[in-house]
Amino acid sequence: MKKLLLLFLLGLVLSCNPEDATPTTPANDVFDETKATLLREGTWTGSGNYTVSGVAQIYDDNGKKILLLNNFSSSNGPDLRVYLSTTTSATSFVNLGKLKSTTGKQTYEIPDGTDVDQFKFALIWCQQFSALFGKSETM
Amino acid sequence: MKNLTLLLICFIPLYAASQDSKSIDYGSFTGAFGSQQGSVSLDYFHLWKLGKSKKIEIGIGGRFTSYFGTSQYYSSAPADLVVDESKSDSVLLQSPQVNALNIAINLGYRISSKFGVGFNIDALGFSFGGKQNGSYINGNQGQATSAKPTSFNVLLVGNNDKGSLNSEFYVRYFIKERLAVKLAYQYLFTEYTTDTKIQQLPEANDRFRNKASLFSLGITKQF
Repeated sequence: MKKLLLLFLLGLVLSCNPEDATPTTPANDVFDETKATLLREGTWTGSGNYTVSGVAQIYDDNGKKILLLNNFSSSNGPDLRVYLSTTTSATSFVNLGKLKSTTGKQTYEIPDGTDVDQFKFALIWCQQFSALFGKSETM
Repeated sequence: MKNLTLLLICFIPLYAASQDSKSIDYGSFTGAFGSQQGSVSLDYFHLWKLGKSKKIEIGIGGRFTSYFGTSQYYSSAPADLVVDESKSDSVLLQSPQVNALNIAINLGYRISSKFGVGFNIDALGFSFGGKQNGSYINGNQGQATSAKPTSFNVLLVGNNDKGSLNSEFYVRYFIKERLAVKLAYQYLFTEYTTDTKIQQLPEANDRFRNKASLFSLGITKQF
């Protein structure tokens, strides 16, 4: 019986499936800020023990809204996503995709119809564990 | 398969009673594991031994299953939303935990004195568990939500099942005359109902289901 229990526990441990961490190679997305209109801007701050820094900017680029992370750096973690949210707790959010890298300049396209005045918080959010890594209130 | 199951539930006792059958009882404790999820279950079956050589074992019983997981996605459960993936949304629950007590049926075959194989499936019962917080996800949009295990479980045809239902394909190896080790593939549905009908399109819906494929190991006692 003890062997059976040990086998079961071993199986549970082996069955854990940690999501891949976010890439750490610095991102360097091409985006010319001088040719787009800045709509909102905020500064990243970390949450709890997580460190997130840099600037979040929302641009209108010929009718397309873009979130630009500039001079950006974040603690690493599993399943990190970039959200635009109405609150810092992701009560209502738009998922812009997986965080491309923990550092560097990176752009995220904002879906058409998203009211960036309503979704004023940019978040680095661990979707797998519903954990806030960092936030930026854009104004 | 489900039609067969329902037929078996209705006719097993009647058929067995009409046969010159012997009966046998089994109780099992099983642990199952998969990707960031697992279950433990306790079952007891009363089986009638049928056929010339009495190798076919058909019967009914009860099973208690306790499921636990981490960061599991639950998809829209109603049949018409399951069929068309574009109509299906999901709820991501951080720590789902569902307990289900169901009437179940078993169909087995005793290959030899040492080996037996079979299949069992839950048919009717109820579930309970705590409220869980999570995120409702519709494409690239989402919102916070909370949900509780769907209370009533019933096995129906097609994708019309409701609630949390367990099933197993198993192989038993008897290490003693009345004691066996069981290896099984477990297919376990768990279902949550959100506090509100959080999905609105293409129809209002509050039921979301996780389908877990698990491998299990158990011990069976013959009574």
